[in-house]
This record gives sequence, C-alpha cells and structure tokens, in this order.
Amino acid sequence: MTKLRDWRGHAILALAARLYLAAIFLFACWHKILQPAAFALDIATYQILPLSLVNPLAIVLPWVELAAGLLLLLGFRTRAAALLVAGMMVMFTVAISIAVAKGLDMSCGCFASQGSAEDPISWRTILRDASWLLLAAYIFIFDRRPLGLDRLYGRRKSAASQEPS
Amino acid sequence: MPGIEPVAVRLVPLYSLRVAARDALLVLVVCAGAGAATNALRPGGIAFVQRSEYEILVPCPEGSGDAQAIPADDPAVWDTRTLLVDARSAVEHQRWHPTGSIAIPFDYLEPTSPEQVRRIASSGAGRVVVFGDGGNPDSGEQLAREIAGKGIRNVRFVAGGAPPLERAASVRGAQ
Repeated sequence: MTKLRDWRGHAILALAARLYLAAIFLFACWHKILQPAAFALDIATYQILPLSLVNPLAIVLPWVELAAGLLLLLGFRTRAAALLVAGMMVMFTVAISIAVAKGLDMSCGCFASQGSAEDPISWRTILRDASWLLLAAYIFIFDRRPLGLDRLYGRRKSAASQEPS
Repeated sequence: MPGIEPVAVRLVPLYSLRVAARDALLVLVVCAGAGAATNALRPGGIAFVQRSEYEILVPCPEGSGDAQAIPADDPAVWDTRTLLVDARSAVEHQRWHPTGSIAIPFDYLEPTSPEQVRRIASSGAGRVVVFGDGGNPDSGEQLAREIAGKGIRNVRFVAGGAPPLERAASVRGAQ
C-alpha cells in the first residue's frame, strides 16, 4: 500500500488528470451559464427531478462546474475540487443511467443544449462519466501538488512556521 | 467495512477528507450565491422555481419493426391480396389515393391507435403496403415500421411515397 501511495509517477499523472478534468468542466459550464433556460429544459428532459428543483439546479450547477474547473486548473483546494467533481459525476452517471434504462432518445446536455442534439446518451456516455469519476477519485487520493497554488501556499506556510519567533 | 476502511484511511487521512468536504461545501455555498445573484441580475434570468411544466419533446421508445421498401411499380403493390395504407394527411388522401386504399394518417407525436392496427389486422390481406409523403423522413416508412412493430406481418412501404405511386397508377391506367 505504501509503495502504491509513494510512487513518484502519481505527481505527473495526477497533474495531467487535473488539467484534463479542468478543461472538461470549464468547457461544459460555458453554455449552461450563458443559457440557463436551455439548461433547465435539459434537466427537465431527464424527467427525474421534481419541477421545483429543476431551475435551482440549472442556476447553481454551472457555477459549481466553473468553480471546480478553475480550482483544478489553478491547483487550489484540489481535493475539494476533486470531491465536487466526483459528486457531480455520480449525479450525472445516475441520471444518464436512468434515462438510458427508460429508453429516452435524448441528448446528454453535457456540452450543448438538447436543441443541438449532437451528444445522444448511451451506455458509452455512462462509461465516459464513470471514467471521469475514477479520474476525480485518483486526483483526490494521489495528487501531490506538483504545480499550483496549493503547493505555493504550502511552501509559504511551512516557511512561516520555520521562522524564528 | 473493517477491511476497506484502514486502506482508505491510509491512502487519504481522515483529516484531509474532512478539510476537503468542508472546502467543497464552502464552494457550493458560494456558487449557489453567485448563481442566484447572476440569475437575478441578468436580463434572461429564469424563475427560481418553475411554475408550469416544461414542454419536453423526447421520442418515447415505440416498438419498431422491420419493414422493407418496395418500388411503386412492383406488381405486388397492385396485387389484390395487398392492402394499401395511406400514411399521408386526410387532405392529401382526399386529393388522390389508389382505389381500395385505406387512410391512416401518420402522426409523429401520437402512436397509431390500437383500433387502426386492428383494422389492418382484420382486413385479411396477405401483404400490407404503406405509402406516405415520400419526404425525409417518409411518413409511409415510419408508419410501416410502427405497425410492423405492433405485430402486423409482411409490411412494406413504397420507396419514394405517393408521387411514384401516383405515376405508377397512371401508367397502369393507361395500359
């Protein structure tokens, strides 16, 4: 277990995973922030949430995606960002699985609204989301802060604690 | 889970998990505030709670069967044992239709009623040939697949729909 945890390659792999997920989430949040009405319709199309929860989710979720993407990109509060991404991926995977099981012929709404219908949901979408969930878990567990604000902040903190009083 | 917990704790200390959860919760609260404020201030903002149902148009899974295309001039189309079904609108059916054909206008939103399917089933025909508007998608092909999916056997649809069928009918009439 210690060997697995201390492997040096995790630093590079987790950094790559971090930047990859950051790019995905920053790209995904864009149309949702610009077109909240279209995103609300996307959520409603899944026919899972009660009507009263559709709009609050459409208003808040894109901002959580933006925040998680920015935090991952900057390497600040990386574990919190990975936790948020993992939570969202669980939510998306469950929603898409239900829609696929129902046989709904619809777009995922992940990167564009239903109108464009270029990203139809399927078991492949579920696998994709599950792989992103695994990436988020990997970052959460193995990120070594090779680059980012967490590292900078950590150095300053340790330097401050070593200063003679 | 006594076996798993120590492994998880060794990989991520409980303290880190607690800090990450706290930070994540903080981010959630800030995002909720930012989202609500932006939505309230922007011109195209949406109501925080939706009052009327969203008009969702998602095709539901309908039983779709196998139906092959058949050329309009194929003798089987004009065979006496063939039931010709017009999938076009009632107006188009009124304008022209082959003698003996029945009208079952295809609706892209509503499934064909069981009564109409029974009407086809009880016709005693050995073959069902559906023709539609010939568009893309062709209403004839759609209806043919739908009724084939509902248990009607030996269903075909006219390739190109009503226009080639009308031409074929006039050629046959001239002969």
